[in-house]
Amino acid sequence: MPGTSYAIDVRDLGVRYNLHLTRRTTLKGSLAEWVGRRQRDDHYFWALRHVDFRIEHGESLGVLGPNGAGKSTLLLALAGILAPDEGSLRISGRVSSLLTLGAGFEMEVSGRENIALIGAFMGIRHRVMRELTPSIIEFADIGPFIDAPVRTYSSGMRARLGFSIATAIAPDILLLDEVLGTGDEEFRARSQQRIRDLVSRARAIVLVTHDLNSVAEYCNRAILMEYGQVLYQGEPTATVEFYKDRVRKRKARLAEEEAERAAAGMPSPVSLDQLASS
Amino acid sequence: MLPFRLPMTTPARVAPDARPAVAQRPPGFRELFLRLDGVRLVLRGLQDLRTRVRLLQYLVGTDLKRTHADTVIGQLWWLIDPFFSMAIYSILVTVVFQRSIPDAPLFLFATILPWQWFQTSLLDATTSVTARGNLIRQIQFPKLVLPASSTLAGTITFGFGLLSLAVLYLVYPGRISPWLLTLPLIAAVQYAFTLALAIFFSGVNAFYRDIQNLLRHATRIWFYMSPAIYSVTALKGSIFGVVLGLNPFTYILTSYRNIAYYGTSPDWVGLSAVLLLSLVLLAFSIWVFKRIETGFAKIL
Repeated sequence: MPGTSYAIDVRDLGVRYNLHLTRRTTLKGSLAEWVGRRQRDDHYFWALRHVDFRIEHGESLGVLGPNGAGKSTLLLALAGILAPDEGSLRISGRVSSLLTLGAGFEMEVSGRENIALIGAFMGIRHRVMRELTPSIIEFADIGPFIDAPVRTYSSGMRARLGFSIATAIAPDILLLDEVLGTGDEEFRARSQQRIRDLVSRARAIVLVTHDLNSVAEYCNRAILMEYGQVLYQGEPTATVEFYKDRVRKRKARLAEEEAERAAAGMPSPVSLDQLASS
Repeated sequence: MLPFRLPMTTPARVAPDARPAVAQRPPGFRELFLRLDGVRLVLRGLQDLRTRVRLLQYLVGTDLKRTHADTVIGQLWWLIDPFFSMAIYSILVTVVFQRSIPDAPLFLFATILPWQWFQTSLLDATTSVTARGNLIRQIQFPKLVLPASSTLAGTITFGFGLLSLAVLYLVYPGRISPWLLTLPLIAAVQYAFTLALAIFFSGVNAFYRDIQNLLRHATRIWFYMSPAIYSVTALKGSIFGVVLGLNPFTYILTSYRNIAYYGTSPDWVGLSAVLLLSLVLLAFSIWVFKRIETGFAKIL
C-alpha cells in the first residue's frame, strides 16, 4: 500500500469546529437557523487547515507555535479523537493516548476498578491489563487509597494514577504535550524517567512544546504552527530561528504601532497576541 | 434527517495541487457508495458493541455501584423502590380514583415495573454521552457502549425488581400461571425498543441538551398515555383508544399484564409488530449515532 512506509502521513488535514454547536445553542436557535438560511462557511472555525507533513519511522517531530495555534488540536487529531473534516490522516501503529488522563475517572468506584475501566476504554486486552495492573498501582504509589473511591483522592493522586495508566503500555507513536509537570519532585523525576523510556521505545514521536531548547535537543524535525496552519517546516534549529525571528518582528511591529499611537495621543491597548506569546 | 448538518458529513475536500491522485468519483458511484455506507455504519455499530463486551461489563458494574453508593442498605433499594411506587399507585387508583380492581397491587405492579425499567433506562442513557465528555476528549473508543451500558444497567435493576414481583406472588398465589415463562420474550422486545430510543437520544442530546429535559416530561406524559394504571378494555372504541393503538407500550404492557395478572397469553401479534418496529428504529438510530459520534469530541 502506498503511504504506509510513513509512521504518520498527514495530507492537507483540516479540522473545523461548528461555532453554532460549540456555543451550546438550544434546539430553538438551531431550528430557526436551519429554516432561515442554510449552513454558511462563516459558521466554522478551522482549528487546523492545510496541515501537511509526513514522519518516517524513527523520526521525532517538534510542534511549535503560540497558544491557540492548533497544536493541541493536532495532537487530538493524531490520537484519533478528532476526525478530519478535510484531507487525510494515516498512522501506522498504536498511538499513545494523551498523557493528561485523570479527568475521565469514575468518581464513585475505586482506583483499582478505574484502572480496569480505563484500560477497557483504551481497548487494551483484558489479560494484558490484568498483568499490568500491579505495576500501574506501584508506579502511581498511592498506597491503600487504591481501593478507595477516586472521589476521595487528592488532585495529585488522581494525576499520578492517570499518568500511570496512560503510560502503562509503550505506544508505537508517542504523542507528548509538554504540560506534564504533575506531582511532587520525586514523582516528576520518575515520570520523566518513564517518558524517556517511552521515547526510546517509540517508533515516532510528536512533541508539542513551548520550550525551544527541547525541540532542538530531542527532535530531528520541527514545524511552526500559527492560526491552524503550518507556517514553517524544517530542521529544528532552523524552525526555532524562524519562530524567534517572527516573534522579534512582531514585537518590533507592536512597539512601532504603539509609538504611533502614543504620537497620536491614543491610549495603548493590551494586545491579545502579546498576552498569548508571553 | 436531523435539523442540522454536521461537519463530518461533508466529503473531505482535497486541495487541487496537493493530491491529484484522489480523483473525483462519478456521481452515480457516489450515490451507491453512500447507500452502502449506511448499511456499513450499522454493521460497524453492532461490531462496536460485540467487540467491547468487557467494557460494557465494567460500565454496567460502575453504573450499578454509583446509583446506590453511600446508602445504608445499598442494593436492597432495588427491591424496595418498586414496592414503594406500587404502593403509591395502588392508593392512587383504589382510594383516590375509587376504582375497584381485584388484586390491584399485582394489576399495577405487572405494568409499572417494566415501565420504570423503560423510563429510567431511557433517561439515564440520554445523558450517558454528555456525562462522559471528559473521557471522550481523551480516549478514542466506540461511543455506542455508553447508551448500551446504561440500558443494560437498567435491565439488571429490572431483574431485581422481578424478585419483588416474586415476593408479591406470595400474597396472590392463585395468579401464578405458566404464561409467566414468556416474560423474557416480552422483555426482549421491550429492550430492543428501549435501546433504539436510548441510542438515538443519547447521540442527539450531545448536541442539544434540551432533549434530556424534554424527555423527562415526555416520558411522564407517555406513562399516562399507556395502559399502566388502567386497562385498554376500558377505553375501547373511544378516540383515546385509537391513540393507545399507536403506542408500542400498549402492546408491551398489555402482554405483561396478560401473563402476570390474567394468566393468559401475551399479545403475540402486537408484540411482533413492536419488535419489527424496534429493529427498524434500532438500525436507524445506530446509523444516526455512528454518523454524529465523530463530532462528540468537538462539542462536549
